[in-house]
Amino acid sequence: MALVYDFFVWGSAITTSNIAKVYARTVRALDGVDLAVAEGKIFALLGPNGAGKTTLMRILTTQIRPTAGEARVFGLDVVREGAKVRKIIGYVPQEMSVWTDLSGYENLLIYAKIYGIPPRDRPRLLDEVLTKLGLKEAARNLVRTYSGGMIRRLEIASALLIRPKVLFLDEPTIGLDPSARKAVWTELGKFKEGDGVTIFFNTHYMDEADLYAEEIGIINQGKLVIVGTAMELKRSVGGEVITLSLKSNAFAPERLRSLSFVQDVIVAEEEVRVVVQDAETSLPSLLEFLRQDGVSVTRVAMTKPTLDDVFLKYAGTRFEAGGRVSEVRQMRRMIRRG
Amino acid sequence: MLGLSALWAMWELELRRLRHDRLELYTRAVQPLLWIGVFGPIMGAIRAIPTGGIPYTSFITPGVLIQSTTFVSIFYGLTIVWERESGILKKLLVTPASRASLVVGRAMAAGVRAVVQALVIVPIALLVGVRFYPHPLYFLGALGVIFLSSGGFAALSMLVASFLKTRERFMGIGQALTFPLFFASNALYPVAMMPKALQVFAQVNPMSYVVDAVRALIITGDTSRLGTDLLAILAFDLLMFAVASASFRRIIE
Repeated sequence: MALVYDFFVWGSAITTSNIAKVYARTVRALDGVDLAVAEGKIFALLGPNGAGKTTLMRILTTQIRPTAGEARVFGLDVVREGAKVRKIIGYVPQEMSVWTDLSGYENLLIYAKIYGIPPRDRPRLLDEVLTKLGLKEAARNLVRTYSGGMIRRLEIASALLIRPKVLFLDEPTIGLDPSARKAVWTELGKFKEGDGVTIFFNTHYMDEADLYAEEIGIINQGKLVIVGTAMELKRSVGGEVITLSLKSNAFAPERLRSLSFVQDVIVAEEEVRVVVQDAETSLPSLLEFLRQDGVSVTRVAMTKPTLDDVFLKYAGTRFEAGGRVSEVRQMRRMIRRG
Repeated sequence: MLGLSALWAMWELELRRLRHDRLELYTRAVQPLLWIGVFGPIMGAIRAIPTGGIPYTSFITPGVLIQSTTFVSIFYGLTIVWERESGILKKLLVTPASRASLVVGRAMAAGVRAVVQALVIVPIALLVGVRFYPHPLYFLGALGVIFLSSGGFAALSMLVASFLKTRERFMGIGQALTFPLFFASNALYPVAMMPKALQVFAQVNPMSYVVDAVRALIITGDTSRLGTDLLAILAFDLLMFAVASASFRRIIE
């Protein structure tokens, strides 16, 4: 039994099997999620609002119990061994989780005490996380005076106090401007490299998952629809397209079709569309081939499938559709009031 | 002992918050000032209420003190509701501290606030001319009673907060909870003066026992009923901690 169990968790920081959560007996927030996140990876759970991301994270962080199924963090059951799980995880909820009427330093100090970090380790640890997240200068100011990005970094600092093995971040950059967002991820990246921590984050920003996650799980209506690297997911939708505008008329599409990396060639009016697996690596060879054939190219464009296309393929709807409609409604309501 | 260190941390948190922002302490002292400085002397002049030979203002001072500190603790439940809307509660739940220690810690942190509030009101009472029982240990004992009982009232408000969940609803309920406890207690008049039905309620009203204990310690010095009072307060605390811990899940989900 022990052997089977070890095999089950080997190399995985997080595993879930058939996790379901039903609220108030009617709302099915999660509907049988099976997931495995490898140790040391940055994993993004991507989905629109209301897809079940926060519910899954709250189950994994032992806040609420699943209605059915099992979840483990480094082999520890989140329901039966919750106390042990909480000793090895750091967590930053979506909403603000620091006291604004205390200084940044005081916030960390209180959390260090709640975590039970011994007094002799506190000064060094606090100094370390404050330095790492670039908050040393502002440490003595009240959090009320901080910017959104600084508050997020303080929250991450407090989650890192116990040197967690897994860091859970719920919508880590929601409401932040692009530069603050980048700063947050730069710091997270450093921490991941240095300490080999596994990062599990929820997001509804496709570009954030695309840029920062090593693996992405797409969730919709409580179901995990697909998991893979951004590249794998996009490729699974179909090839990438290189669109060429040519000067010469002496062009033979068959010649291109014979190339091993070319999947299809479509000639449309002035343009030639070449479908390939990976546009970036294929482009040099393609251009070289055309040059040797005496065909001169005047313009090149590459189009790649986006995660939105991935979402469309596997979830059956456009990612932003729901959100956009409600945003428009909200905007209209505001205009009416104004 | 992680549970204990979490408790201390919650108390320290309240002290630090108070250090940064003391305005609330002073604004909350206005109402007691009116009770002791205006209501007390005017009602006392009529000499209609049998106080057992104590000046009326001195008679009501413990009650006014407790009403004020109870208000602080009851509204502390509001903080928990606010923390539910923010991520603080979620974050605390993911620390290794146990849930019971979170509930008891937060509740007793209200006691820290309440004691500091009492210390702001006492000088006002002295200025108005209330004669305190001259024994520092008795006075410290009274602060201990306030600390202990505030935990129970805060846990009661957490329990109520677990049903309400939004800040707007809570404001009214906070008042609706404090004033009946205050008026149906021995704070402003002896229980014997009340209608029969109210007397029954006053018997189970925890505030009656708190006022009785504090009155014995800071005004009369007659501690003959102190044991019963303390037992009643302890029982109230334990019951509230247990029920609030059990209903804590409701706040979380």
